[in-house]
Amino acid sequence: MMIVRAALAVALMLCGGVIVVRMLEWIRPAGWEILPGVFLGAAMIALGAHRLSLIMRARGNA
Amino acid sequence: MAAVKPRAKNPELRRAMKPWGSFSWGYSDVGADIFVGLGLVLGVAAGASNVAFLFAGVVYVCIGLAYTELAATYPVAGGGQYFVMRGLGDFFGFVAGWAVLLDFTIDVTLFAWSSVDYTSQLLPALVNSVNPWLHFLVVLSLVLGLCILNVVGVRESTAFNGAVSALDVISETCILCLGFLFAFRPHLLIHAMQLNWPSPYQLMLGTSLAIISFVGLESISQAAQETQRPASVIPRTSISLILTILIFALAYSNLALGLHPWHPITDAAGHPLQFWQIFPHNADNQGKAVALLSAQVPYYGAFAALYVPVLGAVLLLISSNSGVFGSSRIAYAMSTSNLLPSTFQRVHQKFRTPVISIVFFCAIAVLELIFAAIPGLFPSFEPFYGRFFRGEGGLGFLADLYAFGAATSYSFVFLGLISLRLTDPLSPRKFKIPLNIPLRFRGERVEFPVVGVIGFIGIFSILIFTLQTHPLGRLFGPSWLVLGVILYLIYRNHRRLPLLRSQRRDWRKAQVEILRRAGEFELMDEYTANVKASDARRAEGSVP
Repeated sequence: MMIVRAALAVALMLCGGVIVVRMLEWIRPAGWEILPGVFLGAAMIALGAHRLSLIMRARGNA
Repeated sequence: MAAVKPRAKNPELRRAMKPWGSFSWGYSDVGADIFVGLGLVLGVAAGASNVAFLFAGVVYVCIGLAYTELAATYPVAGGGQYFVMRGLGDFFGFVAGWAVLLDFTIDVTLFAWSSVDYTSQLLPALVNSVNPWLHFLVVLSLVLGLCILNVVGVRESTAFNGAVSALDVISETCILCLGFLFAFRPHLLIHAMQLNWPSPYQLMLGTSLAIISFVGLESISQAAQETQRPASVIPRTSISLILTILIFALAYSNLALGLHPWHPITDAAGHPLQFWQIFPHNADNQGKAVALLSAQVPYYGAFAALYVPVLGAVLLLISSNSGVFGSSRIAYAMSTSNLLPSTFQRVHQKFRTPVISIVFFCAIAVLELIFAAIPGLFPSFEPFYGRFFRGEGGLGFLADLYAFGAATSYSFVFLGLISLRLTDPLSPRKFKIPLNIPLRFRGERVEFPVVGVIGFIGIFSILIFTLQTHPLGRLFGPSWLVLGVILYLIYRNHRRLPLLRSQRRDWRKAQVEILRRAGEFELMDEYTANVKASDARRAEGSVP
């Protein structure tokens, strides 16, 4: 179960990374209007990292 | 009243909640907000809806971090009201609690109203503009039904909450993933933002409405009261909760602006419309935005159109119920602190529930419902609403007050956080908001929270936006506070308690008791040691 959770957390981080990269591709035509999208990606990376740190800590305790 | 008696002894709540239970409790409360907020924000902020959600979201993250720190340090059910009372004193504690109570009563009506709106997606007879009386009667019966259920003591179980929350997280993830994969067009998003940027007034209005997508953080502190080892569990679950809600809000708003609809949408003249353009000036659509969006996701939309309205309606009803339950609990906590009359502590002899609190706040919720529904029910009142309230009614009126109550109470919570950091540095904080400035205050080493100041500026500006752009919020919100303050002063005068100053309380003893009840024995020992060391320093004269 823990491996599935970790995989989901990594997937979330990857999705967040893809969104950030895709948004940055639009930086020239769109300018600062990509900001909400960049924050969305960053929030996904943060949540994935938070979940992963909890899983690592739980694994360490076990 | 024969059937009602004061609670002789305060029975302790069972601390049996696990991390998932704690998360799902918060999620079922805050997670439902996007179902209401999305349509309202798209309706006014147009191409800047995602920016409105971003601004409100950043403020919300600050609020969430503040609640996480405070709930982990003081795991009591009073929530914002308790933190403010402890940090700023009885009077401001009352004002914050009274604003939270306004929010809870609005919560009951707003979410019951929206629950019926989502149901109307499958049962068109319930559409408000088509059958306003039927819509009104169904919402009224839901509010009364929840009132009765709470009086007899039936509450949705943690397991049910958990199941609905899990289903909703999975469902929203599917909608967003498939939506971004198959229907999202970045150029449509940029086009909407560049060509449909709203006026500053509309943007302020949208931002003040966006904050309602993030209301309900009181549930974090309520969960803290019933969670084992809250100082460890609450930070874990609430950070996940905060980020999940933020991701959903930002994702929905970006997707809605850049969505290429599965089925073409046209106006009355047959011109094609972007998805978000179906929301301005259409209250029926604003009430069920997530259901409409999910139905436009290619292929998956055919399935989502059937279950999302039902899931949304159930989640909104749970959130409405949390308003009934939460208001009675906050009133009980305020009453035990002598901020409200002891009547609100009275429990029914047979059902052992705070019947007076429940009935009182449900009655206020019904009054709010009637006021919101009048323009739809009696068209002759429309000119009156148009002249004095810019034609607001229905969801708009409820959202106005909801935003006002939330912004007011959260503003005080930030002040409470800053004050407690300075005046109570001895309480161990297992979770501390990052970015602090170490300094000395009254001889103790304290850490000044920079995020608290940023959050306060953010939420206070949203409060200003609310007062600036919501005629009804500007009128009824402050009136609610003034009425409450008058009642508070009468009550305190009657009880011969200090009117504007605070009662003397032994916070040290209270803190030890709070940590003991929470099962945080290590923190309790740490606190006792901190207090002893501080007293020793004072006795030596090293502290002025």
